[in-house]
Amino acid sequence: MRVVNYISQVDETKCTGCKRCEIVCPPAAIKVINKVATVDSEKCLACNKCWHVCPEDAVSIVPRETELIVGVDFEEVDAEAIEALCRKAHFFPEQFVCACTLTLAKEVAAAIIKGAKTPEAVTAMTGVRSGCAIYCMGPILRMLKAHGIKIEAPDTHRWYDLSLSLWDVPTAVAEKHPEYYLKDDQTEFNE
Amino acid sequence: MKLSPAISQYVMPSEHCPAPEVRAADLPDISAVKITDLFPEIPKGYLHNEGIDFIRQATEEALSRVDMRMIKPEHSVNILCSEHGFYLLEGMHYLEMLKAIKDVVFERTGCRRITLKLAAGMGYRESNEIISQFNLKDHFNGRVRPICAFDRGIPIETEIGTLYGLAGAYDADWIIHAGHDEPRDLYFYRMIDRLLKAFVMSYARFETRSVYHGNFGNRSCAFLQRAMFDAPFVQEKFTFGCFLRLTPAGVTGVAASNNLYRLGEEITVDLLRDYGKMLRLFAEIDDCIAILDGGRYGYYLHAGGIVFGCLENVRYDAFDLSQPAALAYFDLLGRMAKGENEKMEHIMFVNPALKAVVINQAWPGIPMAGLPLEIPTFVVGEKMIEITRMDAANPSFMDLSEPAEDLPQAMAMAKEAAGTDKVLVFDGSFGYINLSAPLAETLFQKAPGVKEQVEKKFLPLWLKQRGIDPAQI
Repeated sequence: MRVVNYISQVDETKCTGCKRCEIVCPPAAIKVINKVATVDSEKCLACNKCWHVCPEDAVSIVPRETELIVGVDFEEVDAEAIEALCRKAHFFPEQFVCACTLTLAKEVAAAIIKGAKTPEAVTAMTGVRSGCAIYCMGPILRMLKAHGIKIEAPDTHRWYDLSLSLWDVPTAVAEKHPEYYLKDDQTEFNE
Repeated sequence: MKLSPAISQYVMPSEHCPAPEVRAADLPDISAVKITDLFPEIPKGYLHNEGIDFIRQATEEALSRVDMRMIKPEHSVNILCSEHGFYLLEGMHYLEMLKAIKDVVFERTGCRRITLKLAAGMGYRESNEIISQFNLKDHFNGRVRPICAFDRGIPIETEIGTLYGLAGAYDADWIIHAGHDEPRDLYFYRMIDRLLKAFVMSYARFETRSVYHGNFGNRSCAFLQRAMFDAPFVQEKFTFGCFLRLTPAGVTGVAASNNLYRLGEEITVDLLRDYGKMLRLFAEIDDCIAILDGGRYGYYLHAGGIVFGCLENVRYDAFDLSQPAALAYFDLLGRMAKGENEKMEHIMFVNPALKAVVINQAWPGIPMAGLPLEIPTFVVGEKMIEITRMDAANPSFMDLSEPAEDLPQAMAMAKEAAGTDKVLVFDGSFGYINLSAPLAETLFQKAPGVKEQVEKKFLPLWLKQRGIDPAQI
């Protein structure tokens, strides 16, 4: 569960509608409408990505009037289904998949079982990838694919479909490069 | 035991994280220990206040052995560099090396279209601040561009599939990899192919970084940097690498080569030997309080050339490739999974000697969320508290930490919580460590034994595991 106390605010007099903020927004909370960035207060997780990339300094992060709480109650989802999905994607259910929000693998799995079909939807439901937004994309895509969801990357560079993991390394490659402990790590993590 | 007056070794001004009123180095019980007094054999380098003139000469000398014939006057060249270099000892050494690379390449090839591509983690705020503070536009005739993990990517076919680099890093005929050899977060990549890491981090999209950190173990992830660097697309553009060299005792020079594997082996020997001693010495600390005190991400603030993240994870010998423990920031996994204090064997957990942490100054933006869950953590001053509270990368941090009005108050609280007066300051220092006298006494007592252990036991093991024979170098 993530409690969000801040929100992105766009200065319309500075915004040029360049869409850089729209492209980087993890939960897709910003859309450029009529050449001005517009923030969906129900989705914005104040991750600062828009603030970081805005070339016009048109974005500021301000306190919310009322806090936004995001999170999926995994108790509402069949525990065996969560376990099965996590295992299929090679996750331990209690494992953190986001070092910022400390979101557990089982919460991401629960969000997907409850209907999230894109990384944006997973973020909006769980809050995962609303921190540094750098380290948890691969695990999210792994989990979505393990659930059988066909991944369609957006036309923009919002994100690319990359979920390569230790378990995708061909045996021949792992055996060719023993100095990288690919097979050893596969064994360790499987255990 | 020789103690020197403490000074702040590294204080980068930043609009994103204002300087505190009192520096840790100004506290009455903080002194400094010289690295070469602990380990006289560690090569002494230049510090931030000892001049940078030697860097140009060292760069020219290193580049004299590099082949640049592939670069023609009509070509374009990207010098790829990372923000981290600008935080090492105030960044002037790194800047001088970059300037010298540009000048030498022009002199030898006649190429004028040389652009500095400055990679930063989160976005343009960091890089724009560096570009401004270091006058990079003036130094590079306006040919400076920031690149970040969220920029447009470019697919790169590797031995194990497609990875994504930053299109902006590769939009020239040739690339020069201009880095540094300071090991930083070695607990993540285990000192395997140090010189290649930037190809999957600084010069890569966030999906690639995510796969590196989240989808592989800490040993096996190093294969990704090799796969990326060896990719035909990268090799067709790669010219040479040039690296600022540091020991824990300062900047020692510059190294360059067309062959990064060969150079990497040479550098790895030095890194394992010199930083290995510092790490093993830190591992001998039985209890301490850490103060983070610099305008830089908290995990990457140095004390004697070792970043704070290394102290947090020093319970594990990251250089020993036989130990598989991985994913340092998942340190609560074991406790949550198995109950209370029992830890999982394969997951690193926080160094139990770290009894409290005081954050006097540290940039927001990098995940440290697990820290206050495990260790009493104190945040100093209204500004730092507000910055921490707003930090999206650590949304629960302030809820779990104790606020303090000023540094002396925070230290009193931390000492009470920790039950120790051993204090270690992470303020960007190389050459010295700022610390309290009781901790200095411990370090002086332990250093001779650590030296012997590393030289006779650990270093041969670490080198053997990497297939490096120093006699062949």
